[in-house]
Amino acid sequence: MKIIVDGKEIDAVLGETLLGAARRAGIHIPTLCYHESLEGQGRCRLCMVEVNEGGRKEVVASCTYPVKEGIEVTTSTPVIDKIRRNIIMLLYKRATGSPVMRQLFQEYGCPQNSLQENPEERCILCNICVRACEELGSSAISLIMRGTQKRVATPYDEAAAVCIGCGTCARVCPAGAIEMTEKEGIRVIWNKAFAMQACSRCGSYYASREEIAHLTARKPEYVIQSDLCEDCRKRMMAEKIAVFVSE
Amino acid sequence: MPGITVQLPEELERIIRAYPSDKRYILAMMQDLQKQCNYLPREALEEIARHVEIPFSKVYALATFYKAFSLVPRGKYHIKVCDGTACHIKSSAVLIDQIFNAIAIRPGETSPDGMFSLETVNCIGACAIAPVMVINEKVYSKVSSAGILDVINGIRGDINDNAKSS
Repeated sequence: MKIIVDGKEIDAVLGETLLGAARRAGIHIPTLCYHESLEGQGRCRLCMVEVNEGGRKEVVASCTYPVKEGIEVTTSTPVIDKIRRNIIMLLYKRATGSPVMRQLFQEYGCPQNSLQENPEERCILCNICVRACEELGSSAISLIMRGTQKRVATPYDEAAAVCIGCGTCARVCPAGAIEMTEKEGIRVIWNKAFAMQACSRCGSYYASREEIAHLTARKPEYVIQSDLCEDCRKRMMAEKIAVFVSE
Repeated sequence: MPGITVQLPEELERIIRAYPSDKRYILAMMQDLQKQCNYLPREALEEIARHVEIPFSKVYALATFYKAFSLVPRGKYHIKVCDGTACHIKSSAVLIDQIFNAIAIRPGETSPDGMFSLETVNCIGACAIAPVMVINEKVYSKVSSAGILDVINGIRGDINDNAKSS
């Protein structure tokens, strides 16, 4: 089907979200709680856009809004911009310690106000880390407590038996809030230390052993040369192709 | 769940296994456990996760979400001080300080002898008689900082009497 986004006609498939269709067409809609590998959560509300359906206008979260035939979408209007500015301002005030939020706060030209800042906090509670961990099959972390006490944690803040130290939570975090350190082949995340696997070719540490075991057990078809790091795997493939071509 | 399995008292296991293995019974299980133990023991939460077949982190999230549940044992006398808007204006913070002076516990804590625990609640719907305090199921209205000491001393008297008679 065809939909119009910012005056441009783009292709969309029934069942996909507005955000998905717009991104594919190269139209930028800002997001925080969204990751292309996971379903839209509609949590951060930064992806709000204006949808005009036969003269009726409404403001929707594009990451959860399924495309419809004949809609006209505007990704930036004074109303939308104000909503985004407010969201950024509030999230920055909550997670003042996050450099990403600080930068967004400046980029969006949010006005200064007297709301209390939280220099110690970096998390914006977007839940994407929890969703990613769930999707990967560990579910080691969750949003605990509620209200002003709410935060992401492992049960009892202890090293979770189910955590495989894959670091996906830290990688998908839009605010850079999850601490992960790597030193001399030991990765520490969520109060748990993991021995890492060294690449058999270049010697660099590239994954926790638990992570490789987890993947091998769940998706053996994805595991190619699990003793090599990503770079060396690519290099190995390139060398094979080079040999093939020269023959 | 891998790791060390702590032996769960049969009674707790019976409470949990009384319900079918379905997510929607978790709250009912937790309510029964809270009633039985005065808190939610960790082993019981792990057993719920096993029984219902959901990740432990989800059970933990649920247990920490509701104020009705406690993860540490509550005292024999559980004091709830209302800190809703009306009670707050009527100086509920003073009551909390006064309780700290008398029993040396802060909200969320239990006294070492296991007799008293304290929490603040956000409104018990009795604003007309603010500030309000609830001990176990008994409601104390228009509590003053002097009155609170009388109440606590009264309870201490009861505890001593019970200790003597038994």
